[in-house]
Amino acid sequence: MTLSKKEKGFVGTILVLILIFWLLSLPRSPGMDQLGQIGIGTKWIYTIPVMEDFGFWSRINLLTVGVGAVIVLGLILFARSVGKKFSLIPDRRQSFVELLLEYLYNTVDDTVSRKEFVKPIFVISTTLFLFIAVANIISGIPGISVSVIDGRPVFSFFTDTWATPTADLNTNATYAVMVLLISYVFGIKAKGFKKWAKSFFEPIPLMFPMNLVGEISKPISHSLRLFGNIYGGGILVFILSYMVKYMLLPIGLWGFFGMFIGLIQALVFSMLAIAYISSQIE
Amino acid sequence: MEITDAIVQAAKFIGAGLCMGIGAIGPAIGQGNVGGHAMDAMARQPEMAGTLVTRMLLSMAVAESTGLYSLLIAFIILFV
Repeated sequence: MTLSKKEKGFVGTILVLILIFWLLSLPRSPGMDQLGQIGIGTKWIYTIPVMEDFGFWSRINLLTVGVGAVIVLGLILFARSVGKKFSLIPDRRQSFVELLLEYLYNTVDDTVSRKEFVKPIFVISTTLFLFIAVANIISGIPGISVSVIDGRPVFSFFTDTWATPTADLNTNATYAVMVLLISYVFGIKAKGFKKWAKSFFEPIPLMFPMNLVGEISKPISHSLRLFGNIYGGGILVFILSYMVKYMLLPIGLWGFFGMFIGLIQALVFSMLAIAYISSQIE
Repeated sequence: MEITDAIVQAAKFIGAGLCMGIGAIGPAIGQGNVGGHAMDAMARQPEMAGTLVTRMLLSMAVAESTGLYSLLIAFIILFV
């Protein structure tokens, strides 16, 4: 096998990066006996001191809020930098954005039967897809992670991936409920309130409780699918990685569970959003 | 370790193992069906293979979700 100079440089860079990652994680990788003591599956929750009487409302999941805001800001900045010089002959970034959006637009166009609703549904589903895709991809990249031990947050560098908002059920449940409400708005707008409300009593009025349970189970399965994939994948990598003490295996596992599964799940989430909304307007 | 704690620990491990093992049956059947029928379709129409692979992965991810529920339950049994 002969490699050109460019390819040799590429392979060398990757090998050096892997070596640096391994050396950084070596002194911090805990042993198998400490598995029970790691703050596994815990979240860093901050309670606002002034509002302690409000209970539930005073608790903030700082990592979810912070990382989510950073992702949103990054997406906005990227979109602005691409949109500023939109030319007929696209450069690399513009053609990437065009390919992605065209693919998503075509899927919406194929699914939705009424053409006047294609564009709003495309905007909603693409926004969801972009946020969830970026959030899932950073869950496959090693970085600063926070675990809670004895009620105190412990920051660790390059032993785990970035904390991602989609590994928190609050984010996913918010989006799932939002999609459900948006689908009702679309249904009322497309059919009128009376006809939309009548769809709950079909085929016979006796079936109303069944229809209600079916509607409630939609956001539950919608949100738990994404949450289970990202959160369960993270813990699975965590447990499997102890077998080799963080040598090379986590990189492949993070690539599989974080990026591959994450991108598929982001697509599934936005596809199901399209399907739920388009089932209401028919 | 007290004998009651030991029994609880043993029950936790058995419960998590049963939960994951039984819960994996359904998604396995579903994914096998999806993969097999996708292979059938690809053999009949090889020019559609590109579209079929993406849709196969999509429906596999949907079929997988019940297995992930049992994975979550197993983690909750083990760690919480």
